[in-house]
Amino acid sequence: MIEIKGLSLRLGKFKMEKLDLTIEAREFFAIIGPTGSGKTVLLESIAGLKPIEEGSIQIKGQEVTLLPPEQRHISICYQDRALFPHMKVKENICYGLRFKSKSDQKNAVEKLNDLAVLLKIGNLMDRYPVNLSGGEKQRVALARALIVNPDVLLLDEPFTALDATIKDTIELELKKLHQVLQTTTIMVTHDFREAYHLASRVAVIKDGTMMQVGPVAEIFEQPSSIFVANFVGMKNIIPISFLTESKTAANVDSFRKKDFLGVRPEKIQVSNSPLGTDFMMNGTILRIKNAGIYRQVDISYLQYQFQVILTPNYYDDPALLEGSKIYFGFDLADICPLEQ
Amino acid sequence: MNRKNKSEILFVVSFFSGIIIITFILYPILNTLSWTEPGIIWESLHDKEAINSIFLSIWTATVATLVSFFLGVPFAYLLARKEFRGKNLVESIVNIPVVIPHTVAGICLLTVLSPHNWFGRLLVNANIEVLGTEIAIIIAMAFVGMPFLINSAKEAFTWVSPRMENVSRTLGANQVQTFFLITFSLAWREILSGMILTWARCISEFGAIIILAYHPMIAPTFIYQRFTTHGMMYAIPVTVILIGICLVLFVVLRLLASEKTRG
Repeated sequence: MIEIKGLSLRLGKFKMEKLDLTIEAREFFAIIGPTGSGKTVLLESIAGLKPIEEGSIQIKGQEVTLLPPEQRHISICYQDRALFPHMKVKENICYGLRFKSKSDQKNAVEKLNDLAVLLKIGNLMDRYPVNLSGGEKQRVALARALIVNPDVLLLDEPFTALDATIKDTIELELKKLHQVLQTTTIMVTHDFREAYHLASRVAVIKDGTMMQVGPVAEIFEQPSSIFVANFVGMKNIIPISFLTESKTAANVDSFRKKDFLGVRPEKIQVSNSPLGTDFMMNGTILRIKNAGIYRQVDISYLQYQFQVILTPNYYDDPALLEGSKIYFGFDLADICPLEQ
Repeated sequence: MNRKNKSEILFVVSFFSGIIIITFILYPILNTLSWTEPGIIWESLHDKEAINSIFLSIWTATVATLVSFFLGVPFAYLLARKEFRGKNLVESIVNIPVVIPHTVAGICLLTVLSPHNWFGRLLVNANIEVLGTEIAIIIAMAFVGMPFLINSAKEAFTWVSPRMENVSRTLGANQVQTFFLITFSLAWREILSGMILTWARCISEFGAIIILAYHPMIAPTFIYQRFTTHGMMYAIPVTVILIGICLVLFVVLRLLASEKTRG
């Protein structure tokens, strides 16, 4: 569906070099990375809004690298919504239709009504954007992007500046919208949880370089590098030292040529008595942070510090006190080998 | 002294500074009226020379403003949207006419338009008379007025998020359609404010114009000539008429420009 080959571009000091990416038709794809990693630039270069220096972009098998944005059949929704303040909601939504052929405009009223029902914005049509809440603005921006039946929908940090309740609602609506319309969607976000909820595959980007691409669960469970591991919340990252070529975990192929290992905090078990896990250590509880629905326990062991996430059934364990000695461990299957 | 009292003292100081400023501007203008009588103003309205000079000022200032608009708005858009090496220098050059004395601006323009310069000779050879004509007046006015329009338009374009333009492009509008439907539609009131400032600057121009075109006489030159040759009493009626026309036009244009943009 979308095939990006060897994409290189430069923007001031920022550069993206030889980036390859394939996104399937009807897929909900997420690009994640920290601020300044080049996510939005990548999105804008797909839309033709940022010129690229090298490489090619194909959409539906058609070469679009040199096409202007208005000929690519791609819609974009920005985090600030970028609604046109001098137009009412209805005018905002229908803006793109005036550039379409008469046959495309035929079903405009029907499309508008369908989107109004799907996004629950029927009562907002005569308002100006200044009179809309953050969630309403987001819905209007989505309707405006979708009314032109784009081949690809680009979402740039769609949940930024929304409060938690509205964010959850819009997230569910976006998921439903994708299920109904099946529009190929690329979402950019710095929050892995958003990607996890919505996307089927994820690309992690750092300083214009693709760090890892894969199914969302795979990246969550098996990040390939320390950067990706940190980004998806894998906290316990420690260097690997091999005793001999034939002993210890070095026997496991996946650990060869890796420098670090990581364990997700929720995979670590704790107990005041020895555990039956593949690996077990005896450490000291440094601090316990109560986060309401879970507790975060920091355990010191040798020169390392481990972070453990405990669910409510552990809350009443009398051994869980700051300063107390505790057994903790994890299984071999839960260890993730990492590159530097 | 509590915080409330302190802030009230600040407002008292602000209020008095406001009174001084408003008086400083309005008193000389209103006082001019007391120096003349309605009968003399009525007489001046029938003084063909005076009326011609006022209308010459108005239409040349309008043409200079329109020239500034058509040249300045595209350039302001470039300055608002693109970063390039030497941009600060370019912006400084645009504002040079604001900082140099206007007689100096007139001399500078004269060096280019006189037959001693290649450009002036080119005009002479093409039988285009500039010095001492309305064209010279418009050139002088545009020279001193254009920076105000460019600065206002640039500010206005900077306020319009490039992301709105991006969205418009992806929805099917080309660059020109996007400029008119989004960018200019959102910026026009500020640009109109800039045009008013430019027009006001053009109509009040004197220093550069007397160097390039003492004749035909624009209103400020006419008032100056009346003042130096006939005295204060002969200069004031034309001054009052010019003030009146300028204020009416200024208020109408300000009302047009000040209607709140939604958003």
